[in-house]
Amino acid sequence: MERWVCPNDRQLALRAKLGTGWSVHTNRMSSFQKAKQLNLDEQEQIMRVMQRAEYLDQSEQERIGRLVEKLDNMKKNCIGNGTTQCVLCGDEFGLLGSSPTFCDDCKKAVCSKCGVDTINSARQPLWLCKICSEHREVWKRSGAWFFKAIPRYVIPEKKTDCAKYQARGRIQTQGSRRVRPGGPSPAWHRGRGSTSTGTASYGESSEQDSSSSSEDEVNFNSKHKNKRGAESESDNISIGSSRSSHLYGTHNLADSKTSITSGNYGGAGQLSATESSRGDDYHDETDSEKSSLSGFSRDGSTRSHGVGGVAGSTRYDDEHDNIDVAINQYNKHQEDDEIVSSPDSDSGTSLGCLEFSLLYDSVNNALYCTIVRARGLKAMDSNGLSDPYVKLHLLPGANKSTKLRTKTIHKTLNPEWNETLTYYGITEEDIVKKTLRLSVLDEDHFGFDFIGETRVPLKKLKPHQTKAFNVYLEKTFPLEKDDDLIAIRGKILLSLRYATSRQSLIVRIIRCAELASMDSNGYSDPYVKVYLKPDKDKKSKYKTSVKKRTLNPEFNEEFVYEIKHNELPKKTLEVTVWDKDIGKANDFIGGVQIGINAKGERLRHWFNALKNPDREFRQWHVLSAELTPEVYT
Amino acid sequence: MAKTYDYLFKLLLIGDSGVGKTCLLFRFSEDAFNSTFISTIGIDFKIRTIELDGKKIKLQIWDTAGQERFRTITTAYYRGAMGIMLVYDITSEKSFENIRNWIRNIEEHASKDVEKMILANKCDMNDRRQVSKERGENLAVEHGIKFMETSAKASINVDEAFFTLARDIKGKMDRKSDATTNAKSGGYQLKKDNAPKKSFWKCSIL
Repeated sequence: MERWVCPNDRQLALRAKLGTGWSVHTNRMSSFQKAKQLNLDEQEQIMRVMQRAEYLDQSEQERIGRLVEKLDNMKKNCIGNGTTQCVLCGDEFGLLGSSPTFCDDCKKAVCSKCGVDTINSARQPLWLCKICSEHREVWKRSGAWFFKAIPRYVIPEKKTDCAKYQARGRIQTQGSRRVRPGGPSPAWHRGRGSTSTGTASYGESSEQDSSSSSEDEVNFNSKHKNKRGAESESDNISIGSSRSSHLYGTHNLADSKTSITSGNYGGAGQLSATESSRGDDYHDETDSEKSSLSGFSRDGSTRSHGVGGVAGSTRYDDEHDNIDVAINQYNKHQEDDEIVSSPDSDSGTSLGCLEFSLLYDSVNNALYCTIVRARGLKAMDSNGLSDPYVKLHLLPGANKSTKLRTKTIHKTLNPEWNETLTYYGITEEDIVKKTLRLSVLDEDHFGFDFIGETRVPLKKLKPHQTKAFNVYLEKTFPLEKDDDLIAIRGKILLSLRYATSRQSLIVRIIRCAELASMDSNGYSDPYVKVYLKPDKDKKSKYKTSVKKRTLNPEFNEEFVYEIKHNELPKKTLEVTVWDKDIGKANDFIGGVQIGINAKGERLRHWFNALKNPDREFRQWHVLSAELTPEVYT
Repeated sequence: MAKTYDYLFKLLLIGDSGVGKTCLLFRFSEDAFNSTFISTIGIDFKIRTIELDGKKIKLQIWDTAGQERFRTITTAYYRGAMGIMLVYDITSEKSFENIRNWIRNIEEHASKDVEKMILANKCDMNDRRQVSKERGENLAVEHGIKFMETSAKASINVDEAFFTLARDIKGKMDRKSDATTNAKSGGYQLKKDNAPKKSFWKCSIL
């Protein structure tokens, strides 16, 4: 059905020029045949490239998601009316207050603190409220300026919340809200010569849906959205679970396969072609799945109609209400469980208290941490408020890979998060050994301020019993300084020898152990880089091969630096371990610097090697997340 | 540790088979050159992050196969491209003549806002030149497109070409984002009744 789509004006005009006929399908049929000519190897190779592109696309979607989320948060936290109050912070203008200025974009009144003085491309001065300036920034950074709508994105924050405890339908509706289809293909239609193109904003991006001509297209979009949405909903948050990447990967593969045979190479997400070139396979697929799809396709289309810029925020509130209801239900459901309050009153009460509950599911090896709210937090910002969020870590051995965080609630000392964060792959052994650290932090433009933290030894938990906590926060070390807990990323066994006969320093990377896992499958793909500094030409950079899927790789690779013995004391050996990622930037696992400026074991190792030429010295070194800073000074 | 960047620009290289698209990209992304001809299969891309006016710009550069049989795949990538490099080989008259066809291809498949540039590659091989620089320039002027002679082998103008295209895209972006919001403010005309209030508050302050 609807396969014979009336071509739009632009297509007709072009086709008239080209003399390829009027039917959209002639073109597609010819492309269909051409695609068939590709042999298997070629298809495979193309698929690999597309997969690589998909990886990149994925991280780009997350990046855009973060931008959009930040803007949404800003919008959500606007409390003024924009006439007698500053639209952002709600400060009253008047005799005692400051005088308002008006944002050049939205024409609303803002106080001087919430405005940005800038210039436009023609170098004329421009006064914008922070929201409009952020809006412009998002518009540029996301590529929306080009595609005329915010491209498809994924809200990075998960909010597993209640989703788990709700019917599946609910997850899907949420999903469809979170991942928007603003891909370039519908934007293209809007783009052709209409004057409205320039005025698009977030809310309006939904117009595209209604403007896309075929019903199937809408179905397809929502299907896609939901698939992805549901995944990001449940998986984004997980740690140590291979589920998310695995699922995603197969999904992609299936997608691209369809694409190849049907001659539609839009599988690469952003670059999707218009409906006119969509293959039959897709339509068949949508048809066959239609029964299960009808629910969300409806959702998709309602959404695509009456939502304007303002409606966006109301929708958000709706979602929140739903979540509150769900949380209440969830709490009621858990009421018969043991609820323990353990206010820790001996520390100063000024930091505030945190309410949360923990549930360990030993069957699925999952630890559910529901962060409910905080009360009476210490104010960290000059406005007497904070922008609090909660960060979770599992100790010991905490590192980036066990970090989970809630959303930031802006400008409040009594935030309600009602978010469930989940650790996957938590074994009984972990429960005995590990401690959960919950830190409440205040988000700043640059980094964060530490408000307070609390720690819960997991052995306090009984499997399958929700345990509620309401505790006062304690002052401990801010995360970054807590390096023996945070910064250790593993160990490395190095061998150093100065060979006098060859006038060279021989560095052997033997093995690493207990490396931090950087990939979602719980492993890393480590390799080691070696660098003898200072070195202008960077000729001394070497790296080992990559060892796949391991946290305890053995390398046994040797690197030779031709250098005079008396020059060695001026040098520093920098050894860094990286996690090889395909299609995105490699992750830094940890590093160690060995030289005359190092301390302790590192200095001893260097000293021994220098003092005793032609003797090999082996030593384990701790890899830290920050490169030992004393060398820089 | 993902490298952060401010903008992501998607570029595309098109042109006949063997004009040196892949080599240009190889030179730009890895600063290397390989004289053996390996025909690109379908599509490929490389990444390089550059800095312009203090902004980090990640360039995702799509390299396409020049061969006809991959045309369906390659054209699917036109739409997402913000900038397109049209490449021909100065030692091949045919590749130059085909530039017009490639431009027509862009008109059909690419976004109309796409920034274009014509590159005359292999300019190190002057002894075998078939297409003069003037003819290239004339063609570019005719279509209102920037033009550069390049050599991936001798590393002539390669960085310059990509930087120029990126700068053009960035310029367009800055202008567009102003235009977008200006157009939007038109929609708020009705709110001009803010103005009297403004003076009111000014009075009250004085």
